[in-house]
Amino acid sequence: MPNLIAIKGSKDGLRLQLDEAADWDDLVAALRGQFSQGANFFHGAQIIVDIGERALTDEQLSTLLALMKQHGIHPESLASTTRESRNAARSAGLAARTLTRAPEPEERGDAGFITRTIRSGQLIRHHGHVTVLGDINAGGEVIAGGNVIIWGRVRGIIHAGALGDRTAIIGALELAPTQLRIADLIARAPEGGSNKYPEIAFIENDQINVEAWETYRK
Amino acid sequence: MSRVITITSGKGGVGKTTTTANLGTALAMQGLRVAVVDADIGLRNLDVVMGLENRIVYDLVDVIEGRCRLRQALIKDKHLPDLCLLPAAQTRDKDAVSPEDMVALANQLRAEFDYILFDSPAGIEAGFRNAIAGADEVLIVTTPEVSAVRDADRIIGLVEAFEKGHPRLILNRLKPRMVNRGEMMSVDDVIQILAIDLIGVVPDDEAIVTATNRGEVAVLERNSLAGRAFFDIARRIKGEKVPFMVLEEQQGVIDKLFGMFGRRPRGSER
Repeated sequence: MPNLIAIKGSKDGLRLQLDEAADWDDLVAALRGQFSQGANFFHGAQIIVDIGERALTDEQLSTLLALMKQHGIHPESLASTTRESRNAARSAGLAARTLTRAPEPEERGDAGFITRTIRSGQLIRHHGHVTVLGDINAGGEVIAGGNVIIWGRVRGIIHAGALGDRTAIIGALELAPTQLRIADLIARAPEGGSNKYPEIAFIENDQINVEAWETYRK
Repeated sequence: MSRVITITSGKGGVGKTTTTANLGTALAMQGLRVAVVDADIGLRNLDVVMGLENRIVYDLVDVIEGRCRLRQALIKDKHLPDLCLLPAAQTRDKDAVSPEDMVALANQLRAEFDYILFDSPAGIEAGFRNAIAGADEVLIVTTPEVSAVRDADRIIGLVEAFEKGHPRLILNRLKPRMVNRGEMMSVDDVIQILAIDLIGVVPDDEAIVTATNRGEVAVLERNSLAGRAFFDIARRIKGEKVPFMVLEEQQGVIDKLFGMFGRRPRGSER
């Protein structure tokens, strides 16, 4: 499936970009696949659905909204260049944003770099890879579309490959997490203490494995 | 230059009010003009801890709503002429004031006092936001329990988000013997999680309970270990360098207490 859907972080929230030229049914199928793979990624996020120049009928819009609702995803607004689509959004009770064809302002790249402790109640969500120079404390959470590397101690929750990428990995100087999640899999840390050396978590044989970095690199 | 300091914790029952009363008293004992403000509107108890309950006529909400002048609501301490209490309203709730009101109140108090201490309510909602609104700096109180430390972590994140600088930590009710037996989180364990500067460790002390029940403040009593710890914290707030108290008969903790401002060793127990 070519990239009919793109997910980008922006200062307003997560931007879900739907290919404006693709066949609508293909697009809906692609969305359905994306949502069922990575619904957790979208939970609680400010999602802007960006449909570009596509003119959306009321019917198509309600299909889209129903699909999102089915996966517990709440769109924040609909961004479109066409008035027709924006009106459809408004009549469906959804905020609409005017999309200008001017090139998008430079958005953050495909990796996020954070240099502070993620404390209880704080959530980092990023569509790409995430590196944190600091600890993830219990009650803190990182959700990333790609890999997650924590240069510090993990006590909270890390979700790598949250858009469905099962090849994503989680690495940390010390892994003592509440939970690790990769794509659709969830692992609880074993009871007892953590190891005091760097470890990498990855999916193998349909489960999340954790290995010492020294072993993994070989 | 007056300083407005809010004492908060997230979790309830870890000793915010006791800390506020003791620090306020300790600063006033050193000749500074101090106001302690009970920002826990609807659940006031700073007045009870300080034994001033029966002198209340007006309260914080009366001041904010203009029913009295600030001077009328301030209650002079029983022992120290330079210490005043601004009590919370008991019959109102958090919605009676706004963060802007609290900033204005703090600024009004700056004219009269060197130190203004706000005793924050527990929680992360409106009451907490009101309590830190006017603060120049924030002290976080926690006990060495996982639940209290977790809440402290949450609060530190919020304090940072409200751009109140780097809060400093008071670790309250430490039981050195339990730490030595490995049954309680050590100072190091807590610092490792919260990653903020420590301004004092207060040992668990029954004298606090007896003093509080009599409406007295432990720091005024020479033989209270906790009182001495609070007095030291007050001196550190003023900017003095005070070595951390050696909690005598319990060896082992001493090293930990001293080690903490330098490079922290990696936690080895567990």
